[in-house]
This record gives sequence, C-alpha cells and structure tokens, in this order.
Amino acid sequence: MSALRRFSLVVAALVAWELAARSGLWSPLLFPPLEKIFQELVALLSKGDALAQAWISLGRALGGFALAAVAGVLAGMLMGRSALAAALLEPLFSGTYAVPKLALFPVFIFVFGIGSLSKVALIFLECLYPIAIVTSQGARQVNKTLLWSARNMGASDWQILRRVVVPATVPFIFAGLRVALPVAMIVVVITEMVSSADGLGYLVMYSLSSLQTARMLAVAAVIALLGVALDAALLLARDRLVYWEKLETYYV
Amino acid sequence: MKQRLLQAGALAAMLLLWQAWYMSGAPSYVLGPLEIVQALGAALGIALGLAAGVSRAAGEVLSPAVFLTYPVPKIVMLPIFMLWFGIGDLSKILVIALACAYPAFINAYYGARSTPAILVWSGLNMGAGRRRLFLNVVVPSALPLVFAGLRVSLALSFIVMFAAEMINSRSGLGYLIRDAENSLRFDLMYVSLASIAILGYAGDRLLGYVRRRVLAWQEPLSA
Repeated sequence: MSALRRFSLVVAALVAWELAARSGLWSPLLFPPLEKIFQELVALLSKGDALAQAWISLGRALGGFALAAVAGVLAGMLMGRSALAAALLEPLFSGTYAVPKLALFPVFIFVFGIGSLSKVALIFLECLYPIAIVTSQGARQVNKTLLWSARNMGASDWQILRRVVVPATVPFIFAGLRVALPVAMIVVVITEMVSSADGLGYLVMYSLSSLQTARMLAVAAVIALLGVALDAALLLARDRLVYWEKLETYYV
Repeated sequence: MKQRLLQAGALAAMLLLWQAWYMSGAPSYVLGPLEIVQALGAALGIALGLAAGVSRAAGEVLSPAVFLTYPVPKIVMLPIFMLWFGIGDLSKILVIALACAYPAFINAYYGARSTPAILVWSGLNMGAGRRRLFLNVVVPSALPLVFAGLRVSLALSFIVMFAAEMINSRSGLGYLIRDAENSLRFDLMYVSLASIAILGYAGDRLLGYVRRRVLAWQEPLSA
C-alpha cells in the first residue's frame, strides 16, 4: 500500500502522458506515446554511437566535478580552519556566490576553446562554490571539546587534523558534493546545448531540430537517469564513509 | 499581528522594488520579470513542501516523486516545453519556475519536518488548534530553512534564465551576450556579463537583508 502511494504521482504522470498521446488531440510530434519513446531509448542504448555521446557528457561532468571537489575541499578546509585564509578567500566566495558563473561561458570559449576544456572549466567553477562554502561551514563547526581533548592527550597538529577535523567535516563535504553533483549535470547539458558537436545536450538539440520528438524525449530520459544514478552512487559512497551518522537532511 | 504585517510588507516591498528596478533598468534586455517567476515557482515549492512536511499523506505522495526527479537537470525540459508552448517566453518561464520549485520544496519540507516535537506538544497542550499550530509553530520554525532554499533557487533562477536565453531567444541578457560575441562586440559582451553579475549579487543581498529582518530572532547561519 505504502509503495503504491509512494509512486502514485509518478504513475499518474505516466498515465496522463499516455492518455494525452492516445487522445489524438495533439499531434504525436508533441506527445509521442510512451512505447515509442521506450523504443527510441532501447535503440539509443543499444547503439554504440549514442553511448559514446553519453560517455562524453559523463566524462565532462565528472571531470569538472572531481576537480571542483579537490579544490573546493581544500579551499573550504583552509577557510574553516585558518583565520588568514578565511580573511583572504571568504569575501571572494561570498561576493561572487550569487553571480551566475554560466555567463562566463562565452569568455571561456575564447580562452579554452570550443571543445571539452571550456565546459569542464565552467563545471569546475560552478561546482566549486557549494563544495567550498559547505566544507568551510563544517570545518568551522568542529566541536571545540573534541579539539581540546585531543590537544590535552598530546595529539600533534597533523593528528588533530587527520583524526578530529577531517572526520567531523566529512558529512558536510558530502552535503556540498550532493549540491554540486546535479549542478555539474545541469551545466554540462546546458553548455552542450549552447555550443557543441557532441554529448547528450547536443543530441537533445539535434533531435529537436530534426523533429524527432520521441528520440529527444529518450535522450532527456537518459540524462534524467544519469542524474538519478550519480546521486544514488554518491549517497552510497556517503553511507559507506560516514557510517556513524545517518543522513537526515537532504542537504545543509 | 502588527509584526507579521510588517514582515509581509517588507517582502512585498522587496518584490515591488525589484520589479521597478527591472522595468526601469533593463527594459527589453531581461527576460520578463524574472523575480516574479522565481517567486511563483518558489512559492509553489514552499507551499507543497510545507504541506508534505506537515501531512503524512501528502508527504508520502509528494516527496518520493520530488526526490526522484531532483537530480534531473530541469533544463532538459526546455526543448520539450518549447515544443508544447512555443519558443516564446512561456516555455522559459515554466522551466525557470520548475527549477526554482525544487530547492524551495526540499528545504520547506525538511524545515517543517524538523519542527521540534516539544514545541508542537506544548502548543497542543496549551490548546492551539491545527491552524494556529501551523502558523505559529511550524512555519516560524521552518523559516530558516525556507530562506536557505530561497537562496539556492534564486541563484538557480539566474542560471536557468541565462541558459534558456542562450539556447534560444531573441531578447534578454543571455541573447545579448551571444549576439555581442557573434558580432565580435566584446565591450558589449562584458557589459552584459557585468550587469548579470550585478543583478545576481543585488538579488542575493536583498534576500539576505529580508532574511535578517524576518529572522531577527535567529542567529545568522553564515555567509
């Protein structure tokens, strides 16, 4: 019963779609029936070409995301634990936080070229902010009692960092990563839609311009599934690494 | 009561100011009144999120669907909406509203759900009805998270607006940037870039100001 309830909205949306497709009120170009979308999806997934496009998009998204994770965690840790780094970096981050970095894309194209590099650089920049800011919040909130106890028991700075600060910050790091991962997917799809000759975003625009709606929706479904799968993978990694704390809020 | 009126007034004043700014500042270069769109999407998200957080039935129906589709980049809906509603403003408005509704929903949902049970019990004990309980206990305790969600959705609204205009538009700052780029007018490109940056920054500051006013009783979270 509860499972039925949980997916009632999803099922209702699918049924509504199928009804709209079958009603004949709209052209099948606007509402292709579900089975046709599914056929296209199978065709896409069985063809090496489309899979290669998915790989390209995934590589860009994860490449920029991984770079941002490394740099963001480092910057966040520095901002959270050192007053000097906070004074230097914090105005930079909070001042440009609300500025849409996506606007820099044309500039990035000039600097890094029209290939993958400009997209990866933009993904890096967009993902850097949530990761760095949430990490610095976490690093700042490390329980003082724990720090004092460790110090009292003769732990060195390095030991305190490794055994106290990092474990206390890891839940926050994952919260930041969880905000950043969908952002990476958004940005990769957008940049490929705007200017690209490969990747899933390009495939969406290409199918749209050639009026292959069913294929476009199939590609959109692939993008959606990728987003959900990446999020699930990140949650799995979090549950393994942060086994002592149950996830309660979606993100900080 | 008076305080509540004041709060609502401040919020309305912010929206009005913003709207006036758009009307006067960048008449034909910004996609419609972005703020109104963002507010609509976010309001929908907050309303549904609060409902899902308070009522078990609503939560069970709504939250799996929302959490399942949350990691999906909403921009993939743009071509689909363009197909249904044309390439004009409506498809862009719908995508922006959709993208803004998600963070607002999730934060309102957790805000409502994490209301301390003690407060709810105390309220019940002192004879508060469901309406009073919702307005005077659940909503205030959810507000900090609601504002956090608003901040995310504000930033997101600019990203999506920009993307939508870059992909397909004959107006708006995103279009202006592309157009300037294509015609090698780099000065114009950087001006558009700077204005979008100023808009984003000003919006964030205004939201921060309203949050500090409305949540004067709460310790500031950070940044």
